[in-house]
Amino acid sequence: MAQADRRERANNPARVAVTAAGVVSPLGFGLAETLESLRSARDCVTPVMRFSVTQCRSKTAGQVSDLRLLASHAQIPRSGRLHRASHMMIQALQELVTQQPEFEPELTVVGTTSGGMSYGERYYRSLSGAGDMRHAPTWIANYPAQKPVIDAQTVFGISAPCHVIANACASGTNAVGHAFECVRSGRYQRVLAGGYDALAEMVFVGFDSLQASTPEKCRPFDRHRSGMVLGEGAAVLALENLDLARERGALVLAEVIGYGISTDNFHITQPEPSGIGARQAMERALESAHISAATVDYINAHGTATIFNDATEGKAISALFNGVPVSSTKSMMGHSLGAAGAIEAVVCLLALQHQFLPANINFTAPDDEVDLNIVANEARPAAVSMALSNSFGFGGTNASLLMRKLEA
Amino acid sequence: MSLAIAGMGWVTPLGNGVDSVWERLLQGDEASATTISEQFADRVYSVFRVPESALKGISHPRLRRASAISRFATAAGLHALESAGLKLESQNAERIALIFAISNGGVTYTKRFYHEIVGTGAQAASPLLFPETVFNAPASHLAAILGVTGATYTLVGDGAVGLAAITMAEELMANEALDYCLVVGTEEIDWLLCDAYRRWRLLRMAPPIEPFNKQNRGMILSEGAGAIVLARDGFATIERAHPGGHFRRRAEAEKILKRILCDLGQMEVDFVISSANGTFVDQAESQALQEIVPNALVYTVKPALGESVGAAGLWQIILAAQALHSEEVPPVLHVDRSVRLRLSFSRTPIPSARRAIVLSCGLNQQAAGLRLAIQ
Repeated sequence: MAQADRRERANNPARVAVTAAGVVSPLGFGLAETLESLRSARDCVTPVMRFSVTQCRSKTAGQVSDLRLLASHAQIPRSGRLHRASHMMIQALQELVTQQPEFEPELTVVGTTSGGMSYGERYYRSLSGAGDMRHAPTWIANYPAQKPVIDAQTVFGISAPCHVIANACASGTNAVGHAFECVRSGRYQRVLAGGYDALAEMVFVGFDSLQASTPEKCRPFDRHRSGMVLGEGAAVLALENLDLARERGALVLAEVIGYGISTDNFHITQPEPSGIGARQAMERALESAHISAATVDYINAHGTATIFNDATEGKAISALFNGVPVSSTKSMMGHSLGAAGAIEAVVCLLALQHQFLPANINFTAPDDEVDLNIVANEARPAAVSMALSNSFGFGGTNASLLMRKLEA
Repeated sequence: MSLAIAGMGWVTPLGNGVDSVWERLLQGDEASATTISEQFADRVYSVFRVPESALKGISHPRLRRASAISRFATAAGLHALESAGLKLESQNAERIALIFAISNGGVTYTKRFYHEIVGTGAQAASPLLFPETVFNAPASHLAAILGVTGATYTLVGDGAVGLAAITMAEELMANEALDYCLVVGTEEIDWLLCDAYRRWRLLRMAPPIEPFNKQNRGMILSEGAGAIVLARDGFATIERAHPGGHFRRRAEAEKILKRILCDLGQMEVDFVISSANGTFVDQAESQALQEIVPNALVYTVKPALGESVGAAGLWQIILAAQALHSEEVPPVLHVDRSVRLRLSFSRTPIPSARRAIVLSCGLNQQAAGLRLAIQ
């Protein structure tokens, strides 16, 4: 019976709609500001002031304004105690709930890499330096990775169980992809998906110690690229069974049609040089969507601007796709780690809705080793029906998500 | 959809190996506490550590610099695969998914890494340590050792995260492209964790853990890993994994536990593997159990093995499977006999038991459950 049920579901997978989305990132608060920044190819990377970076090679990051973030949530009980990550999740979820007040998820799947890490840092600094520990219970209570998700759900009366995926930099795409599979399989009708991460000193210094981050501009896929710039933010998407969403008259922003995941096992911090892991993730997303590579109109690349990532991702893309426009929007806002996949899914959503190709800024010259059609420096209008978003992370974890424009 | 348990692996403060740990629990053994200290603090905490001997024979180039959490996970994962008779080859490497349940990750290396930054500055930060601080480092090590090329996920949460991982496995196994899912729950101890839980008034300074006591005297942290291989066929069936939910305040935990028990208790249940650990969890579980499944025998392993947070859910599932399989429940240790629950006060035969509930109430607002059965 179970096997028959499984086969029935597998043979008749549900279609999955995105019916609402919310985002906060260095590009702006909400979809409208994000769209404006993307269209104007704005460089939103700024000097880091949150902690000392004097001993780091890199001194910049994409950052979300605390002033705006906290001012927006002054009315929330104990708002001042919440971690910035909670505020970002609340901000993103608020936008989603405003669009779809009746959206009641049965499950929430969110990606992150560092949870409330900066509270852990404060706790350790105070403890080891015999500092003031009065706020220690608050730091500890707000440190766990699930706390920002629970905080945001609580504010909007959502009580869905939450799964927090920590697959390094692929977490956000994994979260949206897994949520997609949950709805497609018919096990769930409505799943809230997303990702978040807030800038933390330890993570910033960690990437700096690996010499993965750059003291210069972030130039993905450029011949002169020298590394990544970190970022932060949060994004959430409401995924629903398409038929049920239409039945209740919900506005459908886009359709998620495919998801691929792979593990390449090469090295804990470096991708497999041939690009096999990235390629497998993209191939599996295409297989999952039952479409050919030729139908993809835009690729939002992982494109961290590190030597290794861009070389392997570039190889994988050029092996599978023939001249598809590619950009890494991390060039504008930095790499927000666990949030990146969810934010970039929102970027794809906007590209599909508003028919344009987001830019890969700071691009000076193509890399001779990588044959890609880069959307260099300026966004441009284009017919975009199908978009692919890539995210790859430490531990050799790779994920790709396919979305398409849905005609009314 | 129901999944079956095809193999299990267990690394605990009472040693490793499902059968040997189980036998010791049946005999009423408990782990010996050791103390843990920190160079910049006077306070010393009691913990239950995994003995070195439990990791004997576990070696691989990927583990050379890996943290304890990765070693525990690898040992448990390899044992689970072995007990399932499953050997991964390149042709089936895509057909197995790997899901990790963790709570704090590689906290010892994380502390060391940040300690160097605080003490000496960013230039002292070790590029070798940093990758081990990432939550999915243990999963990536095991994936590399096994050669898993398909889905690998790390879920982060509290004591209920192990059951969340089972829910996720159910979702993944809905896809016929997968034959197996290896689910691993793992945790390592550090002084920092003890200190954090103490400040949160959840920790006891020395054993024992006294479950279901009217006074919540606190828990003792432990470490280790539990792993199960899920397949379409096996010796025990997970009839239903309940994703549970979250509670905003501790006082609300009871309500969600009742809902979980109501949903899972629709079929006759013989016993419950509780997550009672000497904290607020006990009162919530006790009330829910008394009201919803008053006739079920109740067991908690935490007085014997400690609170292993990220590994705890998998440990509970292993216990439930072992109890169903061997038709016995070990004695609950250090429990007050006046507790109004049908507790397993001594080694208790359960010859006709067919169904068990695993109930997990985490310390950080999450709760979940599942129902396990044998034919």
